[in-house]
Amino acid sequence: MTDPQVAGAIETLNQGVRAVPSLRQGIGFTLVLAMIGASGRVVVPVVIQQAIDHGLHRSVQGTTQTVDISLVIKLCLGAAIYLLIASVAQRTAVSRLGRRSESALYELRVQLFQHIHQLSLEDHNDEQRGSLVSRVTSDVETLSQFFSWGGLAYLLNGALMIIVAGVMLVYDWPLALLVIFISAPLVYVLRRVQSRLIAAYDASRLANAHLLGSTAELVTGAETLHAYSAGHIFGQRVKKASKVRGDAQTKATLIGALLFPSGEIFGAMAVSTVVFVGLWRGSGSGLTAGALVGFIFLTYRFLEPIAELTEVLDQTQTAVSGMRRILGILAIPVGPTAAVFPIAVDTQRLDIKIDNVSFSYRPRDGESDIENAPVLRGISCEIPFGTQVAIVGETGSGKTTLGRLLARFSDPTSGVIAIGGVSLNRIENESLRKIVVVVPQEPFLFSDTIASNLRFVMPQASDQQLIDAFTNIDLQDWFETLPAGLETLVGQRGSQLSAGERQLVALVRASLVNPSILILDEATSSVDASTEVRLTRALDRLSLGRSTISIAHRLSTAARADRVLVLDAGVLVQDGPHDQLVKTPGVYSEMYKSWESSHNTAE
Amino acid sequence: MHGHPTSSGRFRRATTLIRSLVAYHPGLFAISMSGAAVFAVCTVGSSWLLRWIIDEVIIRRFDTDTFSISQTFTAVGLLIGLSLIRACGVIVRRSFAGRAQWRTAQSLTDEVVDVFVHQPPQWHRRQSTGDLLTRAGVDVEASVAVMAPLPYASSVILMMLIAAVGLISTDIALGLAATAVFPILIGLNVLYQRRVDKWFDIAQGELGVLSAAVHESFEGVTVVKAFGAENRETERLAVIASRVQSARIEAIRLRSLFEAALDFVPNLTNICLVVGGAFQVRSGDLSVGELASFIYMFTLLVFPLRLIGYALSEMPRSQAGFDRIQNLRQSPIINNPRTQFVHDNDVLALYSASIGYDTDSVLFRDVTASFSPQSFTAIVGYTGCGKSTFVQSLAGITPLLAGSIKAPRQHISFVFQEPFLFGTSVRDNVCMGHEFSDDDLWWALNIAEADFVHDLPQGVDTIIGERGVGLSGGQRQRIALARAVIHRPKVLILDDTTSALDPNTEIKVLRSIKMKLPESTVIAVASRPSLFGMADQIMFFDQSAIYGPTTHIELLIQNEAYRSLMQAYEKPSDTEDKS
Repeated sequence: MTDPQVAGAIETLNQGVRAVPSLRQGIGFTLVLAMIGASGRVVVPVVIQQAIDHGLHRSVQGTTQTVDISLVIKLCLGAAIYLLIASVAQRTAVSRLGRRSESALYELRVQLFQHIHQLSLEDHNDEQRGSLVSRVTSDVETLSQFFSWGGLAYLLNGALMIIVAGVMLVYDWPLALLVIFISAPLVYVLRRVQSRLIAAYDASRLANAHLLGSTAELVTGAETLHAYSAGHIFGQRVKKASKVRGDAQTKATLIGALLFPSGEIFGAMAVSTVVFVGLWRGSGSGLTAGALVGFIFLTYRFLEPIAELTEVLDQTQTAVSGMRRILGILAIPVGPTAAVFPIAVDTQRLDIKIDNVSFSYRPRDGESDIENAPVLRGISCEIPFGTQVAIVGETGSGKTTLGRLLARFSDPTSGVIAIGGVSLNRIENESLRKIVVVVPQEPFLFSDTIASNLRFVMPQASDQQLIDAFTNIDLQDWFETLPAGLETLVGQRGSQLSAGERQLVALVRASLVNPSILILDEATSSVDASTEVRLTRALDRLSLGRSTISIAHRLSTAARADRVLVLDAGVLVQDGPHDQLVKTPGVYSEMYKSWESSHNTAE
Repeated sequence: MHGHPTSSGRFRRATTLIRSLVAYHPGLFAISMSGAAVFAVCTVGSSWLLRWIIDEVIIRRFDTDTFSISQTFTAVGLLIGLSLIRACGVIVRRSFAGRAQWRTAQSLTDEVVDVFVHQPPQWHRRQSTGDLLTRAGVDVEASVAVMAPLPYASSVILMMLIAAVGLISTDIALGLAATAVFPILIGLNVLYQRRVDKWFDIAQGELGVLSAAVHESFEGVTVVKAFGAENRETERLAVIASRVQSARIEAIRLRSLFEAALDFVPNLTNICLVVGGAFQVRSGDLSVGELASFIYMFTLLVFPLRLIGYALSEMPRSQAGFDRIQNLRQSPIINNPRTQFVHDNDVLALYSASIGYDTDSVLFRDVTASFSPQSFTAIVGYTGCGKSTFVQSLAGITPLLAGSIKAPRQHISFVFQEPFLFGTSVRDNVCMGHEFSDDDLWWALNIAEADFVHDLPQGVDTIIGERGVGLSGGQRQRIALARAVIHRPKVLILDDTTSALDPNTEIKVLRSIKMKLPESTVIAVASRPSLFGMADQIMFFDQSAIYGPTTHIELLIQNEAYRSLMQAYEKPSDTEDKS
């Protein structure tokens, strides 16, 4: 059984234990307890054997019977006490294993939270999010399942088989070897059936996911289906998926139905062999009637755990691949690393210096080894404190990336960005987050009240401070329209508010930090007129006394800035005030022309 | 068990549940039950066989020291033969139980799906998506979960009856003592399932909370990072994770206790049977073989008892799931608003209509408006004033609270603000199961400026949506537009549909709609000023009043609110627009 798959699984488990060393704690004592517990299971067959051979001794021909009652009672009393001890030992082993593994998995979860929060934003894109969440939830769950069922089965059944085999060997080693020899192929048969079963379960899981997916469409797309009278057609699709699921599950239960009987038939064969050989050898070889009867019981007990053990192998595979995925996440290097020798920065009047900055995304696992094409190339410029800068460029020109680098969501591949003369990677994260604040394109709000979304950045803020924050950026009129004031619930991702209103909350939130540098990723989606007015007003107020860097999608924003940086395919091609750039032939004037024409046709 | 005060009431409910589930596929279930009966008889038979082998074969062999070939072969033959028959019984029982279970699940799912299909959008809107999905998924599975162990459980009961008779007839005192343990074990099993399940359920609930919190925290990672809150977030999630942990540990603690007790009780019973048996053997009432088979029989029944406990503890969950499905099926099908339209091919008009989602919050009262055929109307107003509800009522997606609608019988196409694409091909998403030629399809995609479909890996047959090729918001919206125009609709309603497109594309799309669908009456909720300019007429929504449809100029002159809205639109771009 030492194929590479097993070796790989063992290596993964070792790495897992290294990641969570507490898994190993106290495992030795738990094993001892499990052995004691399992030994309780052979008490009954041993008692029967002893009772038949010694207590219920009878004369030849079976006419008179001399039963040694006191011996039987002594034997049974001893057995009962041993059973009690074994039960307590087993209970303790199970609960120790459970407690230890659950605590270790908790540690693993916290470790994952910490690590994932520190991953850079490129590892946090929308496609990845689902898998990150399932690493912390369902993958850790497969491990928990494994420890509380599979691991337990290994522990108890493994111990049981060892002990039963031991007792059988002591009774009659040739018979014992025979039983083991006959049972060996059962493992092979069970593995074969089980691998079929796993495939069948996978198929039915897939069919089930498919069914749920198409049912979800039927429900979430109800309006669309109604509008195009297509409910029946799509309903048929779901019914087809439901049939496929039924077929897959039926197939899986059929294969499952073959599992148990194969153990049963092997059991009958092993017992028959024991009976046949035992009878044939007779008492001449030192075998007794009691030992043979006891042996029959022991054979059943020996075969019982095999089925369960092989069943657990499937679970083990799931757990190992879960562990492998978790380790994969822990192996992703964290985003910008913490500053090693942090330098304190004066929070006032900070100039920004971008010096020959280039950036390319690190290639992902499984993708080519070739370096990704650079997103930014050799960007240099200085932004004195208090400047209102707009960065413009086509989609994919690198303007969003430059914004991210300025906020140190990633570090440049080469070159340096410095604030107040200190390179970003030498500033402690906590102080950096008080100097630079980003308002993203789609500001994220937690499904909670406005107040708690604001306190997210300033946990100790009083209600009055929060209300003042609205007033400070000229939003008191909007604040008054909120149905429950600060206690207004914003809904999931802020869905109770409009896109524009979410941005307003984000601006208030940013203002609470009072940063020296504000980075604004402008929204592309349209905002209704009255909110637009408020946004512009709030932004104007918020810009006072700081540097702002707007990643501008609308040229009207660029027009209002002191200075425009024009990016084209990752290169800074133009840098200057709007009025000047419009007149200079180049990227910006072209962009402006096409924008202007599209706007004029509208009017 | 709240709500089911008497055990006889609970029993009646359980039998009703089982009867209704079995009624779906009684044949399959009956075959499974016959397999179960074979299994039960063979199991009891095997213990009698064991007694015979011990008494008549083994002990005689060792006592008399003579080896009888024929007897030995009979013993071995019977052992293997009986276990083969028993194995067949098991295969029939299990495979047909599974078949009955999943065919019933299929029937239940189909019933639920029919409800989803027949109920109109206003019904769907009142339900939560998650709740409906639970009915079709978890509830169906829970309902049928009780079916799988049912044949086994019945065969165990049959076995117990035969065994009890067998045990008691072998030896009255010992038999009664052994059978008395069965109810104790069943009770212990049921108690075990309920007590432990409670904690596993709590852990499961906490896990749900954790998943939601983790998802939100990772989704908001930009905010978390932007404000340096990584550690605080980790701590918050750790608190929830520790609740999962402690519920699990409690479940495991209880489980280990019960497991030990469930092992201990039958083992102790066995030991007592040996003592009691010794007395009976001494008095000659019992043979050694009988005693051994007694113990074997008892051991055989211990494990199946656990399954009865499992089946019984599954019952409330199945019951709840099945009840929820029945509730859903019995809810009356609401009328489709479109069936109330008065059909007139040249008119689209509302008469004294009240509009809103329910009678408690009427958005507009007594609206009478008519849209001239083949005109292009833009609907303008502040966010949240009810424009969407208005156009949905016009399209028969939301029912009128009062009043009536006259509309063409022919197609009314509606494009939603948020496009909904199905996880299928572009073709199916556009045609939606209706018959259209490839030429029609490309014609529609072309109007919707969706020529990007050419570049998709399989063209119009590319699978899109959740499991397929990812599309941008604008691309999704253009597919949804093609879906609407392919019908060459008499009425085309766009609910702020084109704002996800960039302004240039938006203009192009609207122009080609005007050009290539000259017969259509177009009504578009507009958020960009660019749209107002294209419209023949404007309908303006202000507070709870509706003005128009009339011309832009007319509104500018007559309506103060409209004027100030127009100014607000112009303001952000006034610096350079007038150059």
